[in-house]
Amino acid sequence: MNCHIYDEVLGDYIDGMRNLEFERHLAACARCQAVVADFARIRGAASTLEEPIPPPRVWARVAAAIDEKPKRAFAWVPMAVAASLALLVAGATWLAWREAPPAAPQIAQQIAVPADEAAVPADAHYDDAIAGLQQLADAQDAALDPSTRDVLQKNLEVVDRAITESRAALATEPANTVAQESLLDALDTKVALLQDTVDLGTAKELNQ
Amino acid sequence: MRTADLELAARCRAGDADAFEELYRQHARRLYGLVLRMVGSPEEAEDLLQEVFLQAYRKLAGFRGESALGTWLYRLAMNLCLDHLRGRRAKMSRATESLDHEDAAEPVAPAPVVPPAISRMDLERAIEKLPAGSRAAFLLHDVEGFEHREIAEILGVTEGTSKSQVHKARMKLRTLLSR
Repeated sequence: MNCHIYDEVLGDYIDGMRNLEFERHLAACARCQAVVADFARIRGAASTLEEPIPPPRVWARVAAAIDEKPKRAFAWVPMAVAASLALLVAGATWLAWREAPPAAPQIAQQIAVPADEAAVPADAHYDDAIAGLQQLADAQDAALDPSTRDVLQKNLEVVDRAITESRAALATEPANTVAQESLLDALDTKVALLQDTVDLGTAKELNQ
Repeated sequence: MRTADLELAARCRAGDADAFEELYRQHARRLYGLVLRMVGSPEEAEDLLQEVFLQAYRKLAGFRGESALGTWLYRLAMNLCLDHLRGRRAKMSRATESLDHEDAAEPVAPAPVVPPAISRMDLERAIEKLPAGSRAAFLLHDVEGFEHREIAEILGVTEGTSKSQVHKARMKLRTLLSR
């Protein structure tokens, strides 16, 4: 008897689907009766298999990996800021070169003077932005995880030191372009850090 | 489509860490059982379960609710398991040229008779010996209780293939358990 033509309906039959043709065959076929009985036993045993419990460390690892993501992205912020600042400085230098008269001493003066003058208003502009953001960040501070707050605080301390050192260098050498760039870089990084503090605190509050 | 799934997915996408933990608690246990039975090693199963949820975290933005969240997670898990087993088999093949192909015809006992009471241990051991494709279909159908329509979606095959794989698995288990 060619029982294999019933292979698929045999499975359906085990799953509870009626098939009159197969049932007529089954009544007369010892082989199919044995298969049906065995399949039913296998299915019954399979449904009683225990559900193993994943160790708690799996969730701990998942949670740590997820927590790590914002920190990793966060670590790139100063580099991104530095890169954009480098582009700005390069652009300003190119503009200065393009608009400057050909004589070398005049070029030097053109670059040095606007940079020197621009540093003061830019500096003041940053101070205003930082003061506003600092207020917001202080208000969000309590909402942050202690570990996140620590990381942000340490980064801010590093940036504050860089700002202090750049300003000290500019106090003695106002035309020092490296010190100007360092100061702008540090101020921009501080703005980004404070912005991150505010964003993280807001997200945390929304989740509570 | 369950609204609860969409809401949970939306909360996860919005960065709600509690929602993601809820997703883990709802599905990790069943997924771990499946993954463990697919790969056989608790260490590898833990790594794969971790990867399932990290992938889910990254891909939740793409979850549009066409399937249940559980089915979607099972699909991620099965893809990872099958990739993992393919990689393992490729390594084994490189190391041992003479390995039989997993789909090689199994000598069929003339009239296998499964004992009236199948011990869980015997069944677990027999399941380990199934080829990956039919093991996946069998676990999803007979252990996890999915319908062939859902298995087809999880494994990316037709319903007919799902039925055929479950049939093959049962036939092979019948032979293995009657030895």
